[in-house]
Amino acid sequence: MLWFEREVVTALVGSDDPAVRSAVEAFVDGSLRDKPEHVRLGVAGESILLGGYAAALRALGRLDGDDALRARLESWEGGPIGVVRQYVRAMKSLVIFAENELATSQAA
Amino acid sequence: MGTLDTEILVIGSGAGGSITAARLADAGRQVTVVEEGPWVDAGAHEPFSLEEMVAKYRHHGASLALGNPNIAYAEGRCVGGSTEVNSGLYHRLPESLVADWGARYAIDGFTPAELGRHADRVERELGVSTLPGAPPPSSAMLERGATKLGWRHVEFARVFRYDAAGRGTKQTMSRTMLPRALRTGARIVADCRVQRLVRDGDRVVGARVRRRHADGAVERLVIRADHVFVCAGAVETPALLQRSGIRRNAGNGLKMHPTVKIAGRFPHPIDHGDVPMHRITEFAPSLTIGGSASRRGHIAMALADTGLPFDEALADWENISVYYAAIRSDGSGRVLAVPGLASPVVTYKLTEGDLSRLARGIVHLGELLLAAGATELHPSIQGGPVVRRVDELGAWWDALTRSRANLMTVHLTSTVRMGEDRQRTGADSFGRVWGHRNLRVNDASLLPDAPGVNPQAAIMAIAARNCDEFLAS
Repeated sequence: MLWFEREVVTALVGSDDPAVRSAVEAFVDGSLRDKPEHVRLGVAGESILLGGYAAALRALGRLDGDDALRARLESWEGGPIGVVRQYVRAMKSLVIFAENELATSQAA
Repeated sequence: MGTLDTEILVIGSGAGGSITAARLADAGRQVTVVEEGPWVDAGAHEPFSLEEMVAKYRHHGASLALGNPNIAYAEGRCVGGSTEVNSGLYHRLPESLVADWGARYAIDGFTPAELGRHADRVERELGVSTLPGAPPPSSAMLERGATKLGWRHVEFARVFRYDAAGRGTKQTMSRTMLPRALRTGARIVADCRVQRLVRDGDRVVGARVRRRHADGAVERLVIRADHVFVCAGAVETPALLQRSGIRRNAGNGLKMHPTVKIAGRFPHPIDHGDVPMHRITEFAPSLTIGGSASRRGHIAMALADTGLPFDEALADWENISVYYAAIRSDGSGRVLAVPGLASPVVTYKLTEGDLSRLARGIVHLGELLLAAGATELHPSIQGGPVVRRVDELGAWWDALTRSRANLMTVHLTSTVRMGEDRQRTGADSFGRVWGHRNLRVNDASLLPDAPGVNPQAAIMAIAARNCDEFLAS
């Protein structure tokens, strides 16, 4: 998983439980590794571009902490650029599915 | 490089491959089945769970057909193929479709009576039945909504056997046809990916494979065979043919059932362990309405599809279930094996008519769920809106656009169509690949079109029919 992908997962996971956070990260990492090469390449390319943009915002003091990144992801998800919307949605789906399934397992 | 000899090599162990292996082994033929995925005990994981996604699905269940919009799809990658991970719904190919496909693609011996004969036997062997008692609430909601609206509906049979207490066990291929094939002498090699077929003129003489052992070691083998049946599914079958230099009518014409979803919230708890068995057939075959896997993870994903805040709804997840509307699509797609890439590129082009049908489908599904008593509907449309009353459903007509629709599918077919019309088919009426004496396809790839219903029954009946023809010839 690339550095920005890890940042995105960290920002999106709602649980404070380190075990859950770690398990979600492992699932997303496994899912990204398991994607078809051309899809993985596309996701990685977007991660680098968006990660670079996020780093620039951070350097300007306009993106501090997980809350700010989460808000930025939400704005990208509702934004006009299709591939960026899909990127956020794909990452969010993986995190949401894993976190909620893990919550079910823990409850059981 | 090691070698292994067999009379018949079956590549893939899903619905088509398992039927093929069992029928041919029953007839005394020496059969070897190779499966890319692992052998996972059928009861090892809860159905549709995170663990099952990791263990049994290709790409963790998140495969993608590229297009505008992209369409997510899921398929099994384990011994037993997608029969290990699907809902087990079983629906014979409608007779009108059999007649239509037979005529349009000039398929010899493709009649309702002939397919029915094979379906009868498959159903006896597997155990196909309806639920012995009352349907669970998730399924009863479909029945209730349809009854209120006066829409036709049906409880689909499933590939399940039930014990005296009414507990059902899905009759997956790893529980049925594959053990049967093993008992009659077949060999099953799991974790074994076929890289390419080895050809000699108009014959295929074997396959180059990579077998991964439990310790992680990779063994390269050539499996020599007199006859080869490729049964790796509608994506991997044409990809393997292309990697082997067989490209004519292999991979184009991919068909599927594009699907939109709604997370429906009810004022009472809904079950989450099973998939609803009722289907709304009022608009069939162009549009079918049914229920999806609805574990907490699926519900959360469905709620998130709108991109709107959903924490309040998710806190009430036990009262929510996910339903779908699936269409028969005018569009089509392509599977392309790209040199150097292990996974083929899959594309799908949705037509304007498809988009219109999907919009109609999600509005009808919304009507049905509200009639069944749902209090809140979250559509798989970016930006929503969330609907609570029938008069609000009209907003979805305009909201469902290419850029806002979140689509998925589980049924992929038609990438090596069968029939005698050589311009439009990749294999003859019984799956023999054109130009090759001993190479056959025997899976969902052969179906000339998406059937509008779960294709498992059609795949099995056609595979059994083709095996009979092979044995007779």
